[in-house]
Amino acid sequence: MKNSKLKKILLMLGIMAMAVVFAGCGKKTSASTVKHITYWHVNAQTQGGAAVDDLVKKFNDTHKNIKVTAKYNPDMYKGLMQNLQSAQASGKVPDITQVGWAYDNYFASNFKYMTPTDAAKKFDGNNKFIDGNFTKRTLSFAKDSKGKLVGLPYSLSTPVLFINKDILSKYNIKEDSLSTWEGIKEASKKIHDQSGKYGLYIQEPGDTWAQQGIMLSHGADIQKGGKAAFASDNGVGAYKYYQEMVTSKLALHTPWAQGMDSFVKGDVAMAFTTIAQASHIKKSASFNASAIAAPHFEGHKTVVPVGGSMLAITAQDSEQQKAAWEFEKWMYKADAAVTWSKGTGYLPPTKVALESSAFKDYVKENPMLDPAVKTLDNAVPWTSFPKKGLQAEQAMIDARDKILSGSDVKSTLGAAQDKINAEQK
Amino acid sequence: MLKKKLNLWHVLLIIIILGAIFPILFMVSNSFKTLRDSYGTMLNLIPLHPTFENYSLLNKQVNLLGLTWNTFLMATMVTVGKLLTGLLTAYAFRSYQFKGKMLIYLIFVSTIFVPFTIVMIPNYLVISKLNLLNNIIGVALPQLCDATGIMIFLKTMEKIPNSLIDAAKIDNIPNRKIFFNIVVPILKPSIVSVGAIFFINSWNEYVWPTLILKDKSSFTLPLALQNYISSEGGTNFPLAMALSTIMVVLPLIIYLIFQKYILNSISNSGLK
Amino acid sequence: MQNKNKKFLPFLYLLPTAILLIVFLIVPILYTFYLSFFDWNLIAPTKEFVGMRNYLEVFTDPVNQKVILNTLIYIVFLVVLNFLFPYFISLIVKFFISKMQGAYKVLFFIPSLFSLVVGAMVFTWILNPVSGPLAYVLKNVGISMPNWSNSGILAITVICFITNWKVFGYNFILLLTGLGSIPKNIIDAAKVDGIPKWRLIWNVILPMNQGIAIYVLILTIVQGLQYVFTPINVITTGGPYYGSSNMIYQTYLNAFVLYKTGTSSALAIVTFVIFLILLFIEIRFVERKAKNYA
Repeated sequence: MKNSKLKKILLMLGIMAMAVVFAGCGKKTSASTVKHITYWHVNAQTQGGAAVDDLVKKFNDTHKNIKVTAKYNPDMYKGLMQNLQSAQASGKVPDITQVGWAYDNYFASNFKYMTPTDAAKKFDGNNKFIDGNFTKRTLSFAKDSKGKLVGLPYSLSTPVLFINKDILSKYNIKEDSLSTWEGIKEASKKIHDQSGKYGLYIQEPGDTWAQQGIMLSHGADIQKGGKAAFASDNGVGAYKYYQEMVTSKLALHTPWAQGMDSFVKGDVAMAFTTIAQASHIKKSASFNASAIAAPHFEGHKTVVPVGGSMLAITAQDSEQQKAAWEFEKWMYKADAAVTWSKGTGYLPPTKVALESSAFKDYVKENPMLDPAVKTLDNAVPWTSFPKKGLQAEQAMIDARDKILSGSDVKSTLGAAQDKINAEQK
Repeated sequence: MLKKKLNLWHVLLIIIILGAIFPILFMVSNSFKTLRDSYGTMLNLIPLHPTFENYSLLNKQVNLLGLTWNTFLMATMVTVGKLLTGLLTAYAFRSYQFKGKMLIYLIFVSTIFVPFTIVMIPNYLVISKLNLLNNIIGVALPQLCDATGIMIFLKTMEKIPNSLIDAAKIDNIPNRKIFFNIVVPILKPSIVSVGAIFFINSWNEYVWPTLILKDKSSFTLPLALQNYISSEGGTNFPLAMALSTIMVVLPLIIYLIFQKYILNSISNSGLK
Repeated sequence: MQNKNKKFLPFLYLLPTAILLIVFLIVPILYTFYLSFFDWNLIAPTKEFVGMRNYLEVFTDPVNQKVILNTLIYIVFLVVLNFLFPYFISLIVKFFISKMQGAYKVLFFIPSLFSLVVGAMVFTWILNPVSGPLAYVLKNVGISMPNWSNSGILAITVICFITNWKVFGYNFILLLTGLGSIPKNIIDAAKVDGIPKWRLIWNVILPMNQGIAIYVLILTIVQGLQYVFTPINVITTGGPYYGSSNMIYQTYLNAFVLYKTGTSSALAIVTFVIFLILLFIEIRFVERKAKNYA
């Protein structure tokens, strides 16, 4: 009796498995005049995923001849690039995709894409859309090492200094003393000596975006003429500052998620990180949180690399490209761009959207955004080396990790620079 | 004297259990906290302001039913596949003498020692050529056999006395029947316990599915967690914990149902 | 007919497994071996033949050397935490307690029901060295928690503990199953003779259980090194400066982050060779029975 029962169970499971196989094979095939395009993005539910769904739905509702399917790619721009690699290997690329700034050159030299300039010429007959919406500075973010426009800037972010006002006022620290890194050091010392808490946390993700900002704001160049140049005296000086902050326990050195948790918990007084964290901080912190513009070193001015992504058209077929271009242009309309910005915490990329009343009202409600918007004027393209860019970024990450665990700054940066330049012939 | 010793062992074991269970309680507890409270009241295991907010938010943001169904189908396929291939293979080794048996056996066993990294890229290419990306079949297909199953089944089968099978053969009972009516029933405890473990492991699988399933609609539950660990926008810990809690419900039910099988297979075969 | 069947049948039984293994295991291994001699970024149309350079890099590059050393450290930690520890506990549960055995078995297994992603997330939160609950509790007692994510060896320890949390119950049950299969009369006889328990364990139980124990030991190493992948990926991404990376993670990093499939493949092959050495040990000790088939 029991045996046959088990047999039946096994049989049933087998049939079920088979059914699944067949169900999977019988995929729908529908042919119609509606153009289907896929849009790849990196926006998880915690960061703009809902906004993407919202925008795509609105677009599909108002455009009967185009149907956009949005696809989320986990693990940020790195994950998206990986998926794009794999997609290329299997021949199924998306029609339009986000590309992180750091992957600018890598994308341009490895994938087939249509430049926005070509799209505008082919489908609009003029360049009005691009010139009318983007400033020269904003467009410069999306150019590859040869000066060619690869895509259109879509998400912009700048680093800001988030502050715990409760801690600062408790130890009598004035906000305007925090406009320089020197001032931050002094404040951190005060806080650390009196409370044992850390003064500062600088984000440490799988890139050196924030660290580049510190070097740039000490007058250093990250690259010069296509070659790495960050191991200059100014670059070394910036990193020496950072290293000293960490070794004297004024700054916390830990992976990004943990570091931000410590800031939100109130164990670190200041956090130098992307503006995209603003809404998370607002929702989670039990203290009075605020943001001020990215600091600089005395005698230098604030310069930060821009963060975020651009939209690039990867469709191969002309009709698909046209549909993608139409979708892309729609996404830059002021209200769409503001919806996007609200959902993600990024700054809107177009002049129109930045100056729209909808966005201005939003900034009023969320004053943390204000310094980030202002910093945009000091933003430069994120360094993306023309050759073996991913390995170059890894070399800079490695250098950061080594320095923060105590290696000599000058020789470590020098070695990283040599390693990168060996590939840039 | 003896009693005291016994109690001390119990103390040790209970400490270990507390250590093992605490993270789970912590997970469940945080799934009922607001984001602010997850930071602000870290030490309160019982939420100060209990809320279902995370669960209802989760329900709005992802298709929980679809995710669960995908995960279930994938785990079922993998489990059935592994059990069938495992039983068949073990039976072949148990019942027949043939050329190259030793070699084939060694090859099968050695598959345990193949790191997944060595087959990762080629298998990805195969699955994409078969047009099975974003399809749970693509995840399951390369995992339909498992040497652990073969080994465990073979070890149990070797305990079946030869006389039993010989007798059946003399009675001219076909092999298929010997397999299903004699061997499989005897192996029932190990089939159930091995099957349950296969299922649970597959349910929780993360690395390989991340390579194959890129589309939200094909995600399994562990993959959906990625939605909530995006570090650029900050991690929503209580939401992630709510999803984690949902994720463990089915494995827990399976475990509670089959736990007797697993434990019986242990105590039946041994001593008290 | 009987005879014909006999020749034909075993291969029929083996066929499904054989096909799956050839398509998804053997051919892929050969392809990876092929790739290990080339420089390729996964999508470029051409692969550049570089001979042994990738292998040379695996052994001479200081980062890879560090990673190989880390792999050895992982092995030691995994053996202690995921093998010796559950073995010890299973012996205690089997021989030193009489009550609540069932309850312990049920409870120990529960963490095995969880995904490692979940484990990694929960533990990083609990163990946050500055702002986690444990850090707060310790601070109240006057102990400051070391910042484990900045130290390779401490990060490895934490990562191994996370896998231990998950694997402990499973290995415990496996080992207990082994102990359970030891014939009862042997133990009864020992009891009648009044032989002390520890001597019984040392002289009789452990040798009799050697087969399953070595199986679990090897499994602990081979699977453990792969299990730690998920926590490494979620928590440290191999840092600080490759301090918590192991060969499995490094293979992934090279393949899917740096797109150096050549180096990645060479690393995978070397890992495989190490695993094969472990396999050889396994066969020597566990599959002695296999000789009967020869």
